[in-house]
Amino acid sequence: MSHTVLVCDDAIFMRTMISDILSQAGYEVVGEAETGTQAVERFKDLNPDLVTMDIVMPDMGGIDAVREIVKIAPNAKILMCSAMGQQALVVEAIQAGAKDFVVKPFQPSRVLEAVQRVLE
Amino acid sequence: MDPAKYAELFLAESREHLGTLNQQLLAWEKDPTATEPIGTLFRAVHTIKGMAATMGYTVVANIAHRVENLLDLLRKSDKAVLPDTIDLLFQSADALEQAVEGSVVGEEDAVDVAELLHQLDQAVLALEPSKPRGKTPAPQQPSEQPDLGGRGVRVVVRHDAPLKGVRALLVLRNMQELGTVAGVRPAEAALEADEFDGEFEFRLAAEVSNAVVETRIRAAGDIKSVEISEVAQTAARQEETRAGMKTRHVRVDLQRFDNLMDLIGELVTARSRLVELAADRADPELEDVALRITHLSSALQTEIIETRMTPVWHVFDRFPRLVRDVGRQLDKRVTLHLEGKDIELDRAILDEIGDLLVHLLRNAIDHGIEKPEEREGAGKPPEGRIELSAARDRSTIVIRVKDDGRGIDKAKILEDVKQRGLVDPETETLTDDILIRVLSQPGFSTAKEVSELSGRGVGLDVVATQLQALGGSLDIDTELGLGSTFTLRLPPTLAIIPALLARVGEERYALPLTHVDETLDFESVAIADLDGTDAMVLRDQVVPLVHLRAVVGVEGEASRRRPVIILEIGDRKGGLVVDHLLGQRDIVVKGFDAPAGTLPIFSGATILGDGQPILILDAARLV
Repeated sequence: MSHTVLVCDDAIFMRTMISDILSQAGYEVVGEAETGTQAVERFKDLNPDLVTMDIVMPDMGGIDAVREIVKIAPNAKILMCSAMGQQALVVEAIQAGAKDFVVKPFQPSRVLEAVQRVLE
Repeated sequence: MDPAKYAELFLAESREHLGTLNQQLLAWEKDPTATEPIGTLFRAVHTIKGMAATMGYTVVANIAHRVENLLDLLRKSDKAVLPDTIDLLFQSADALEQAVEGSVVGEEDAVDVAELLHQLDQAVLALEPSKPRGKTPAPQQPSEQPDLGGRGVRVVVRHDAPLKGVRALLVLRNMQELGTVAGVRPAEAALEADEFDGEFEFRLAAEVSNAVVETRIRAAGDIKSVEISEVAQTAARQEETRAGMKTRHVRVDLQRFDNLMDLIGELVTARSRLVELAADRADPELEDVALRITHLSSALQTEIIETRMTPVWHVFDRFPRLVRDVGRQLDKRVTLHLEGKDIELDRAILDEIGDLLVHLLRNAIDHGIEKPEEREGAGKPPEGRIELSAARDRSTIVIRVKDDGRGIDKAKILEDVKQRGLVDPETETLTDDILIRVLSQPGFSTAKEVSELSGRGVGLDVVATQLQALGGSLDIDTELGLGSTFTLRLPPTLAIIPALLARVGEERYALPLTHVDETLDFESVAIADLDGTDAMVLRDQVVPLVHLRAVVGVEGEASRRRPVIILEIGDRKGGLVVDHLLGQRDIVVKGFDAPAGTLPIFSGATILGDGQPILILDAARLV
């Protein structure tokens, strides 16, 4: 059975791209979220194997969403999606419990490597 | 991956964020102490940056990156934002827009942004607090922890890896899960600040094999090499088996959507034929089927039309910025008030009227709104007000552009048009009806000097002609010194509209119901004479009559019993006398290239159920 993924990003563009990369590699994107709050809610509903999490989102940011999700499921596998120059935020997210990160612009191979690492 | 698909998404989403950018900047400019706009601005720019970087649009990404830096500093600053900074941000929004549009068509370098980037950098420097950041990472001192022995480990992160420091921290975190880590060089603080070249060392005391250590290090990702000062082994990573593909989303190309609409149109046409046939055959079973098909296709039609409907804010929301800019250019103070933003129109119509509204708004600022001193002299507030509203009126959508400016001097225009021989020299007053017709004449412009904005001799004729092509109409209501209101009436959807079918001689014509008020029996109406033309009296109102027979040149006398269709366009009424009414039908509007010499009274054509093409009458041109 393929792994299930929840994709969180406020841009449809990014969600589409991540979803495409993942589903073409055989992962099953079971849900998407546009805000941190939605991400937490959807995580509760779907209990996915992996979450990809944008850092900057309206409502609740990605880092706070990581904290909330880790409270619910301490072993949740969360992959942060960051942009260049967000070093400090990525560190914060990792400290909050994210397992790994990828940096935009995304290269499909990089994303898939990171996903595999996190799921291993 | 299909780059075109992403480019489209990129464009659509970027435009949306650019809209947000402009709106929030306007809000911020109004209230420089507000804190809400900045968060929204930051997210919008950040999203554009991320998308642009992914698409490889470096110009967009560069601008967005600097704007983001600037916003970040502004967010941390406790001072109100300066007008110059807002201006710079507005300029950046414009440059971003140009770069976004250019990038998608492969012309991102068409925009010269060097000066802008420099200004943004200067703005960032000016705001940046004199902070020690970057100069003083924790000195590389050996760890104070006692030497635990264990292995010495040297790790090199791949040189092309982004955020190498965070990668190194991930390695260390993985190591801490195995045992005790000490003697990290460079220090962790430096790693966090991403100030190292990708090589780092540490000592590890753990009860696991070197193979496990290396596997855990490589599990952090982007690792080029691992050296362990005992025996090192290479651990092979397992590739995961990949399962089949699965698609979860459906995106519809707009072209497909238009095709679908065309097909529904054909279906409606065929349905009409079926209903006619069923009625002819008097076969109850056939009639049942025809009725069922009618219901189903109506439901389908409604569904598709609903899906095409788009709220007007998609177009309205870019206007506050436009009004601000035009106002500044002309030294006028003016605010735009929007109303009825949720009213929906067919996307195709909405796309068309955007430019028309730009024209009307520019006119209102340029010719309508006075300069602040002039306004104060006239006892008005110095700031002009323009209202742009959308509303539903029966089956029509009404969009109004209303300003509280100087209005149009009808006496002056009357003189002007008399000189040009456009009206009877005897005419004493210019009604709003005649005014709009005069103003809509090609090439007529009231601007004394051609202004950069709306002069150039392009008057309302363009607006009026395009509205007419959409099956709509334009009206004006103006009062000297108080302002002008331009009213656009539009059908809510283009593709399929209800229409009245009428016959004159051997020809049938369709008349969209948008402008049909009622129908009467010609015999029953009182005929009057209005300046030499036929007219009728309708509830104490004199309404001019138009005989379609005469207009289209049908010879001979018609029977006495003829219907009159009362048309209403804004405040204007007219009666159209035809030979017969053939009932109401949904018609599918087809594009219509009128051959030279065609009477200018048709707005399009349609095909009836029996396969015969007929022309659609343009009510606004008839009365």
